[in-house]
Amino acid sequence: MKVPHIIRIGALVLATTGFYAYVGQMVPQKEVHPPQEIVLKTDLTTADMVKVGRELMEGKGLCTTCHTFGKTGALRFPDLEGIAVRAKSRIAGLSDVEYLAQSMYEPNVYIVPGFNPGMPAINKPPIGLTDPEILCVIAYLQSLGGTPTVTLQTTHRYLGAAPAEAGAVKK
Amino acid sequence: MNRKLLVLLGPIAVLVMFAATVKMASWLMSREYQQPYGAPTATVDPTPRATGVADEAAAAAKKADETPYAEAEYRAFPVVGSRVAIWAVAQLHLLFAAFVLAVPIFALIVEAIGYKTGDMRYDRLAHEFAKLLSVSFSLTATFGAALTFMLVILYPKFTNYMMHVFSPTFLPYVLLFFAEAFFLYAYYYGWGKFHPLVHLGLGLGLNLVGTAIMLIANAWLTFMMSPNGISSTGAVISVGDAIWNYTWMPINVHRVIANVAFGGSVAAAYAAFKFLQAKSDEERAHYDWMGYIGNFVAIISFLPLPFAGYWLAKEIYAYSQTLGLTMMGGAFSWLFIIQAVLIGNLFLAANYYLWLGMGRVEGRQQIQRVIKYLLIAIVLCFMVWATPRSIIATVSEIRAMGGSAHPVLGFLGVMSAKNTAVNILILTTFMSFLLYRRTGKVASVAWAKKGHAAQLFIFAGVAIFVIFLGVYGYFVEATVRIGLSVPQVLSVLLAMVSISAIDIFLYRRAKTADVRWGKIPAISQYVLIFIAVTFTWLMGLMGYVRSGLRQHWHVYGVIRDRSPDAFTPTLGFATSVVSVTVLAFFLLIGFVFWITSLHDRPDFERRTGARLRGKVSPEFPAATPGT
Repeated sequence: MKVPHIIRIGALVLATTGFYAYVGQMVPQKEVHPPQEIVLKTDLTTADMVKVGRELMEGKGLCTTCHTFGKTGALRFPDLEGIAVRAKSRIAGLSDVEYLAQSMYEPNVYIVPGFNPGMPAINKPPIGLTDPEILCVIAYLQSLGGTPTVTLQTTHRYLGAAPAEAGAVKK
Repeated sequence: MNRKLLVLLGPIAVLVMFAATVKMASWLMSREYQQPYGAPTATVDPTPRATGVADEAAAAAKKADETPYAEAEYRAFPVVGSRVAIWAVAQLHLLFAAFVLAVPIFALIVEAIGYKTGDMRYDRLAHEFAKLLSVSFSLTATFGAALTFMLVILYPKFTNYMMHVFSPTFLPYVLLFFAEAFFLYAYYYGWGKFHPLVHLGLGLGLNLVGTAIMLIANAWLTFMMSPNGISSTGAVISVGDAIWNYTWMPINVHRVIANVAFGGSVAAAYAAFKFLQAKSDEERAHYDWMGYIGNFVAIISFLPLPFAGYWLAKEIYAYSQTLGLTMMGGAFSWLFIIQAVLIGNLFLAANYYLWLGMGRVEGRQQIQRVIKYLLIAIVLCFMVWATPRSIIATVSEIRAMGGSAHPVLGFLGVMSAKNTAVNILILTTFMSFLLYRRTGKVASVAWAKKGHAAQLFIFAGVAIFVIFLGVYGYFVEATVRIGLSVPQVLSVLLAMVSISAIDIFLYRRAKTADVRWGKIPAISQYVLIFIAVTFTWLMGLMGYVRSGLRQHWHVYGVIRDRSPDAFTPTLGFATSVVSVTVLAFFLLIGFVFWITSLHDRPDFERRTGARLRGKVSPEFPAATPGT
């Protein structure tokens, strides 16, 4: 029996779309949810801040989308392993905290040689970390090859440039 | 009656009628209003239940009175949710819009060729393309209206913001839509009714207006991805800057090219559909030719599309590295593996169709020997392009590999390898076209040997150069590596232009074998339909990534999505939605094909005349052959 062309065409369209839908099921499946709004406690210790900073870098801050830890070779953005040591002497006259803060609030003021500008200001949307959250990220970065020193009371010249947190209860 | 008397009586009759009208109006106005009679309501003693119901109604009315008006931020669409509903309708609108914008471009070009050469086959072909337009235009407008209403209903706050920013663009958009309807229907219904140049002018008007509509709509959607011309709080500073944002022009260029490629493929599918139903050799020859032209338009437009895609991606990175990295290295990175499968299939199918098409021409054997090498090159490039950087593996496998990237194949998953693969793929498909073009031809110019050698030299030189840059990219810093894609692209473009230029002169007065249109295996027509489905699916997928890239933002970094759909779904879910939308599109385009094919169908009376003869009344005479 000869199958009419219209049936064959229909079967071909169905099979083709079905095949591509199947390919879509074969790749890794991951739902990406918006970052959760968190409120930091005001009495976090430096050690707590390191933990929070790490979580922020892997989550809301999106830092690990671009930056690597302990990788060498043809990288697209600077590797962050040992950043605590480099931050102290990267720009003459700037302490490690001031340098790390500058690299997040005004990332295009200083570009590491061999790399292109492109990092967004972390305190503004779409990332929009708050001042205390950025201090936590600095604490984590200080722990990469060094000893963290910042507390939530640490000041730097950019404080107030990001939305401050009111109240603070959990975490 | 006397003419003078009539002239005299006319004004008198008018005056009398005017006076009577005034009198009737005055009489009606002077009447007092009286309540119409109604039968008295039956009186019943209130029961406890009736009292309770009345109290509840009164309480509900009181509560409604006391509730202040609150503007809704979102409303839910039943069953599938607001996002999927908007997604499907927007996708269908865009697919039909792409088709309606693309077909006039190549219909005009084909008509112009027919006018210039005097060959009426081109005119008939252009008319055949144009026949598909009117029903498609209605469907585009219907889906556009549905999309607008659904946005207003389901996302009122966001829609209000977009209206706030782009209010000066909406009225011109509507006016242009009217102009498009005028040009489209005048172009289609005026076929053969005007001087050819007037008709070509209508076609040009249709294209210009259609493009202008697309530019306005592109401003809205690109603003959502790369907002510009607004303050940090979203207040409008410059509507001009909001329109001319980072991704507006790259999307404009990308869409024009992609629309033509998509339109060509759907028109080729229509020709394939008609070819398979054809009853005579003449019909088969015509639709084979139409399918070839449609596919030619699709593939030629498709070749520069990756370059336009590079530009768009570059502008996305320039606007926001975060956005760019989300696209290529984050949540959407695996989507590009699916894209590689689609594009690889497109290239394979397009080349296969060309190779099958060589069978139409005498003297193909010599050229067909080369095909196996082209096939090897295409398959190798396809494999490289579809190699992921990181692969799904168990913990022990990841430990054994030393990371999520395969120790050997992982090197093929990076941009250096992929850029090289796609450039070689484009070059190989271009060679297939060239070989098809010269099938059955013998160059008769004195410098034929040197010409062939020059073409081969350019082809090989560019292929080696592209591969060299791809390998070199592994040994240099990121700043240098990113820039290498530019010379790769430019060298391939240079090869395509220079080899084509030599070919035109080389085969100018060539001895040519006859092309036997219609003499092609039926499977070739299914290949054309496969190409159209793949193009459509690809458009759906890339539409998803462009829109989904914003993740939990309606307007990136400005208006946050706080609806229940604010998350990015899995690729499996997204590809399922794309598949369903593509199937819906093909059901509807099948309807367009069917409606269009009615145009060539004999009238009902003619078809049924023989059966009805003898049974019809004298007022409805049976048709006779030849009527």
